[in-house]
Amino acid sequence: MTAVGGFVDISELVFAAKAGSLFGYALIWAFALGTIGIIVFSEMSGRVAAVAKQPVFNLMRHRLGLKLGLLTLAASAISTLITCAAEVGGMGLILHYLTGWPYLAMAIASTAVLLASMWVLPFKWIERTYGLLGLLMISFAAALVSIHAPWGKIAGGFVPHVPSGLSTKQMLAFAYFLVAILSAVLFPYETYFYSSGGIEEQWGPKDLATNRVTSIVGMSLGSLLAISILANSAQLFGPANVGPEIPGSAALEVAIPFGSTGLLLALLGMLFAVAGAAVETCMSNAYAVSQFFGWEWGRHKKPWEAPRFTIAWIACFVVALAMVLTGIDPMTLVEYAVLFSILVLPLTYLPLMLLANDRKYMSQYVNGRLAKSLGWLFFGIITAAAAAAIPLYLLTSGGQG
Amino acid sequence: MKPGDPIKLVAELLDLPIMDKDGRYCGIVDDVELSGNAGKKMRLSALLVGPGAYEGRLPRWAYWLTRMIAGDRIARVPFAEVDHIHTSVHLKCRAEVVGLHTVEDKVRRMIPKGGAL
Repeated sequence: MTAVGGFVDISELVFAAKAGSLFGYALIWAFALGTIGIIVFSEMSGRVAAVAKQPVFNLMRHRLGLKLGLLTLAASAISTLITCAAEVGGMGLILHYLTGWPYLAMAIASTAVLLASMWVLPFKWIERTYGLLGLLMISFAAALVSIHAPWGKIAGGFVPHVPSGLSTKQMLAFAYFLVAILSAVLFPYETYFYSSGGIEEQWGPKDLATNRVTSIVGMSLGSLLAISILANSAQLFGPANVGPEIPGSAALEVAIPFGSTGLLLALLGMLFAVAGAAVETCMSNAYAVSQFFGWEWGRHKKPWEAPRFTIAWIACFVVALAMVLTGIDPMTLVEYAVLFSILVLPLTYLPLMLLANDRKYMSQYVNGRLAKSLGWLFFGIITAAAAAAIPLYLLTSGGQG
Repeated sequence: MKPGDPIKLVAELLDLPIMDKDGRYCGIVDDVELSGNAGKKMRLSALLVGPGAYEGRLPRWAYWLTRMIAGDRIARVPFAEVDHIHTSVHLKCRAEVVGLHTVEDKVRRMIPKGGAL
């Protein structure tokens, strides 16, 4: 579920479609770069969970101390809450497209269904339902094949480059999209969710191969789906000067080659993938708060067995829904979600790197030369992106140029 | 690491999660209590757990805010109850014996016993 439900969330849907329409295939490399980053940090967090038995937020408090840890917790809780609200709003929008019923009523219904399913179903069933039905998103990859996409140009998009002939305004918008895509791919909640899952499933050193395969294959699959959305948009929307501002526009990418069946499959795939991401975000917030304060936590426990954890995830959904019900545009929530998340990323990944580099805790499973180099490289990239995020947002009015 | 070994308080103990003998999370080492006199060897006598222990570790306004939200209770866990310290502090006893898990148990009573079939 981390791969599909968490990776192809509402932010990726929106930014992939917009990036393809505005800059053609030129930002595929941003998804590829972000994917390598999330693979590096997911693998590291899974390894730390398996060997040192520490989830990310325990590390953060121990390594950063109470003051800086509390600041990180607050920033991260706010960014994940906004992300959760964006997912709930996204579900409301998609259900509105599917049924024609009012958007806000659909957001309330989505939250009620998510809460009920999380209360009643064992977590593995939630994971299977949203994760597997989210795989309907493969329809975007099928659409790309059926429209005879220019594979040479798509392959060229994987090579880091800036398109030539851009004006200063367009260049700034390009940089904003680059930062936003990196943020959307590297959302910190994915690592909180993944590492906590590893602890709950009682991973040990024997599970390190599974951890590596899950990180690489799972995250790459999600990335390929996001890249399919971008490439479809570059092929279909860019030349027609269509700006896919809302998630529903992305679904048209599948409707063009496959008609109404394609549209239905794409919308259902989006609905379940976004629902999976909503579950992940609210659980991640509950994990973060519970781990920081040392409460009982666990998604494999019955709700009353980890009472404060249960209250935390319910509260997260209720507050996220309240944000949506204020009438704020869900696309504005998406913008804020990526903006806040990139600011939190360096503080999330630094303690993780420090522990994964510490032989005393990790013994022979300490970061090797490759993991250490890639880890520091991506730490530098996300720190630079975090520093540039707010200036770029203000200079481009949120990517408008 | 065993309780008798020398320990770097900040690097190796402060802010570590605490687990009781049943493997349940039951708090974080929010502060420590030392015993001994000036010029003599200091000994770690207890772990302090709970928001009341944040005083002195947070700016005054942040502590005031925390106290308003979470109260100022402190549980004192005698160091003799510590079994070993690694990436968590593992206790020899159940959480309830040393006054931990009290809030968890209070909140538990408010949650229906059903769910997650």
